[in-house]
Amino acid sequence: MSAAPAVQVARSAAKSNRWRAVLNARKAKALTPRKPLKRDENGLPIPHVHVIVRDTHQSRIAEHYHNTLRDDLMYMTYTHKPADSKPPRKIRLSYDPEDPYVKHRYNPPIGGSFAWTRQALPPVTYENVIELERIQLHTMVKEALQSKSHLLGALMAFRAISGLSAEQGGMRTVGGVQIVRGKKQVQGWMRRNAPVGVKVDITGPQMYDFIGSLVHFVLPRIREFNGIPMPRPSSSLFSASAASGVVSFGLPPMAMGLFPQIEYNLDAYPNNYGMHVHFITSARGEGAQNRVRQLLSGFQIPFVRA
Amino acid sequence: MFSRGALGACRASSKVHLAQVSRSLATAAESSASVPLSEGVTEATVAALRPHYKSLLKKRSDDTVVQTGIILNRSPTLTRKPTPFERTYYAYQARIERALHNPLPTEFYFKPGSLLEGIFNREENARERKAWGRPGYKPKTKASAESALGEENESGLLPGEEPPPVLMSRTTEADRKGDVKSLDRKGDRNLYLLVQAKDEAGKDVWRFPQTAVDKEELLHEAVHRELQSPIGLGMDTWVVSRKPVGLYRPPVEPQPYLFFYKAHILAGQVRPDGKSIMDFAWLSKEEIAPRVDENYWDGVKDLLSDL
Repeated sequence: MSAAPAVQVARSAAKSNRWRAVLNARKAKALTPRKPLKRDENGLPIPHVHVIVRDTHQSRIAEHYHNTLRDDLMYMTYTHKPADSKPPRKIRLSYDPEDPYVKHRYNPPIGGSFAWTRQALPPVTYENVIELERIQLHTMVKEALQSKSHLLGALMAFRAISGLSAEQGGMRTVGGVQIVRGKKQVQGWMRRNAPVGVKVDITGPQMYDFIGSLVHFVLPRIREFNGIPMPRPSSSLFSASAASGVVSFGLPPMAMGLFPQIEYNLDAYPNNYGMHVHFITSARGEGAQNRVRQLLSGFQIPFVRA
Repeated sequence: MFSRGALGACRASSKVHLAQVSRSLATAAESSASVPLSEGVTEATVAALRPHYKSLLKKRSDDTVVQTGIILNRSPTLTRKPTPFERTYYAYQARIERALHNPLPTEFYFKPGSLLEGIFNREENARERKAWGRPGYKPKTKASAESALGEENESGLLPGEEPPPVLMSRTTEADRKGDVKSLDRKGDRNLYLLVQAKDEAGKDVWRFPQTAVDKEELLHEAVHRELQSPIGLGMDTWVVSRKPVGLYRPPVEPQPYLFFYKAHILAGQVRPDGKSIMDFAWLSKEEIAPRVDENYWDGVKDLLSDL
């Protein structure tokens, strides 16, 4: 019994000696004292790592899309193609991008720069079902041409509706609410580079939350609202608007007060602002807008024939 | 609603199944060799069945060659319950978000000293306490907040403030009783309609509702006819597409081929007539497996949602 601890002590002594020898051989430097964290202009420490805020809650409407809507949209838009069907005929020769002799030669798109509008939508598989990419809200405040302080109300309203601010939660791609400036000088209407409006891009779970508040609080309470008007069935499926996979509509100024985020303290806003809402999706090609309408009606956004 | 290409495709392929049905019987038996057999069935069993099959086909009308099945779905009415891992993850992310969030510019959104500002500050304090466990957030003007909060009545509500809504329970009466006929059960799962009916041999089986396709009838028209029959009259349904979502090949030939269609129930309930359909149940995916035939289950299980 008494021999065992003695052996252990001897072993540990030998071990420590060995380690000391190893350390001496390496000539390890002492640890340099760590510098204190850098601080930003508000005096808050900047962490070593780039912290990014991810999803903070389950998104009910996003789950509805992934569990129910996605399957249904795939079944609805599926076109059966027999296995032995021929590939589409090439209208004219184009350079092979893999060929080293013509590698960097300009390969003009067949059919001109607007050929993408005439491209048929790719056959639907479980991977490329139409998906919402982002929602853009946009408003123009005409009075801002006189004084740009008129933009403040619209800016704050968009901040409240979207809940976004620039680079929030460490996400560098989040632009937050942005100021829109005039592109051209138009006499009596617009000045070049004058701030005239605000816009915000909403993505991710916030996008689905926006659809939720739009569908449950805003649209049902707009007076004399039957649905979003659709173009006539005879209208072209090749136009840029029909093929770019975007559905847009306008909300009247009175609709701003119906968002619960705004309704809470409507008195704080100097004015009511109407807005354009753009639903931007992954579909591109002939008649893609109709696919977007299918998707949006799955979120219970109503459409009517004009 | 559909693009022109999609409509064109429907038009072009609309008569395909008619060609299939009007195919002569001998050809159907002979060409079965080219169709891959399902598991557990050998060429020998098919050959042994062939004389029997031919006699069967003689007296059978064409409409039993192809039938349509309906996968009638009640989609989830409740959000899925997050797993413990998801809950921890969301709580962690919510704390990071709270630590990094931009403070609200209250001077724009609220009049200083207003009732709304008092309510907001109180709620903000509660959120801070929930995240960090201490009241780290102090309202800027203490007097204004106190004046607004001083008028609380005994229930802790400010004048003009509504009491917070009470949430309904996630489990319903049907869940507690184990009532498989109720549509209120399992709110966070996809439920599917299963009916008890007699098969070709006169045996009681559980299966999805199915119907024979008449001559000169399209597949999806048969589905709509079935949903307009006395069984489906008590409910509002929506058939998702004109195209089938799956095909079930029977292991033994004389049984019909089943083309499945997906549909959603929007309102109402099934009415079993007691003759062709004895009983029904609304079941989730794993509840269907023990009720149906093994081959049938292998054919349909991939059409059903795991959730």
